[in-house]
Amino acid sequence: MSDYIIETHDLTKRYGNQISVSHLNIHVKKGRIYGLLGRNGAGKTTTMRMLLGLTAPTSGEVTIFGKHFQGNEKKILPRIGCLIESPGFYPNLTGTENLKIFATLRGLKNPKYIKNALELVNLPYRDKKLFSQYSLGMKQRLAIALAVMHNPELLILDEPINGLDPIGIAEVRDFIRELCDASGKTILISSHILSEISLLADDVGIIDHGKLLEEESLKELEAKNAKFIHFCVSDAQKAAQIITTTFSSKDIRLADANNLYLYNTTLPVAKINRSFIEAGIDIQEAHLCEDTLEDYFKKITGGEGIA
Amino acid sequence: MLNLIRCEFWKLKRKMFVQLVLAASFLFPIPLTAIIYYLNTAQDKYATKAAAFDALWQSVIGFGMLLLLPCILGIVAALLFFMERDNDTFKNLRTIPITSSQMVVAKCIVLLLFSVVFCISSTVASILCGFAFFGVTDVLFKILFSAVYGLLIAFSALPLVLLIVFFSRSYIFSIMLCVFYSVFNLLATFSMTALPKWLVLTLPTPSIMMWGTQQMASRIAVNDTEDLQNFIQMGLIPSTPQLIITLGLIGAVSLLLAVYLYKKRSE
Repeated sequence: MSDYIIETHDLTKRYGNQISVSHLNIHVKKGRIYGLLGRNGAGKTTTMRMLLGLTAPTSGEVTIFGKHFQGNEKKILPRIGCLIESPGFYPNLTGTENLKIFATLRGLKNPKYIKNALELVNLPYRDKKLFSQYSLGMKQRLAIALAVMHNPELLILDEPINGLDPIGIAEVRDFIRELCDASGKTILISSHILSEISLLADDVGIIDHGKLLEEESLKELEAKNAKFIHFCVSDAQKAAQIITTTFSSKDIRLADANNLYLYNTTLPVAKINRSFIEAGIDIQEAHLCEDTLEDYFKKITGGEGIA
Repeated sequence: MLNLIRCEFWKLKRKMFVQLVLAASFLFPIPLTAIIYYLNTAQDKYATKAAAFDALWQSVIGFGMLLLLPCILGIVAALLFFMERDNDTFKNLRTIPITSSQMVVAKCIVLLLFSVVFCISSTVASILCGFAFFGVTDVLFKILFSAVYGLLIAFSALPLVLLIVFFSRSYIFSIMLCVFYSVFNLLATFSMTALPKWLVLTLPTPSIMMWGTQQMASRIAVNDTEDLQNFIQMGLIPSTPQLIITLGLIGAVSLLLAVYLYKKRSE
């Protein structure tokens, strides 16, 4: 049996001529947090909707808990907790009453399920405040409470920190981490906020224009981030020649007449500096640089769009 | 399914739904009592006080149950069926998983219960008025008969549910549809003799009205007995199995199409 809790095979969703998700193959391992990272409109929500059977794929397959999703929905879905897009609840009911409806439909008779779920997200049990009077953050917390109420093995959370304040974001982050570490839950989380994914996820899938560009562990991804030495000199062309001839390295890039990037960071920087001075080259700056995950994201997606 | 129906009622909390439906059931009995009381005292139209009460009850059935109730059911249906769309709760229900067919059936059962409650409440309102001004007889029959009427009218309103789900537009549009449906049925009832026989026997409201009048005739003093005899001779009154088959078919087709459309809409 596969080690993956979620596996998709060439999952594709097409709306008319527009391809929302294209031949997506993601692999979510048991007991880990998988961060699906992408810009707005990259296809994250559509992917999650297909994983939950809310949208039928145009082609491709979804396997969850080692079973094909199609035809096994009744066995698979009760083992999943989810939060998709904005929180959807009945505005004329309180948070507790809303959860009671879904608990009843899930066959959870004991009110402790509702109470525990609300306590987990710091919402009061049997409060009189109606859902229509909730702030955006409270609505989001209630949606998270609904997702975890039935103690599912797998959580699919679409942008769960939307609308939360910084303290709330940190709380939800810790809570999600704890669910994974202490309870061994598998979590698929989507976000367009790179810092959140980098703080939370064990594995990362980068999606852009419906295509999965990268799928690696966060450690592997961080290791990929390029390190280089940036020289700002009076004659970059001449400096490049010195590095090539004296230090036998061609791993360089000339940005312009004054800026030079050296990607072989094992070379002796002090000696290079001395060689430049001896050759009459003035050095304005020389420092070690490292691409951030954000730079990497921009590089592979080819643009802006993430926070 | 029982849980699903119970949840449908919980969702209506604070909407004053049941209270409003009960209040609506008093809309016709009160003014009709005044009219019949006037006809009875001023024109001495009815032989006995019991006959006056029977006339009141039949008028309540005609105006309250056959004319007003489909409108109310349509509005209730719009509220029930738009609830998940408006509150974006489809996804929460479908990931439980609750299927579209379960949702539609549960909502239709709630509609049916509202219909029965409305009809019984209308009869109770008539009885209360009857106790005050006329002579009330055969209470149990009238209450049971109104419950059966509620059931039949709920089935006859299923095409309206289908239309509401099909158009899936605003509440105002749905109310307009309900009014149109009720008026259309009423016009068909008034012009029964001019319509082809198969159409009269297919249209739900005229069929229920004709069947109901014949059933009542054995227990109470029916208004316009001559008309009833004419309708019997013209074969416009359906038998009980005929009515059940007609309403069953209309209901089944409407329900299946509504499930199909509801599923499509929810995606």
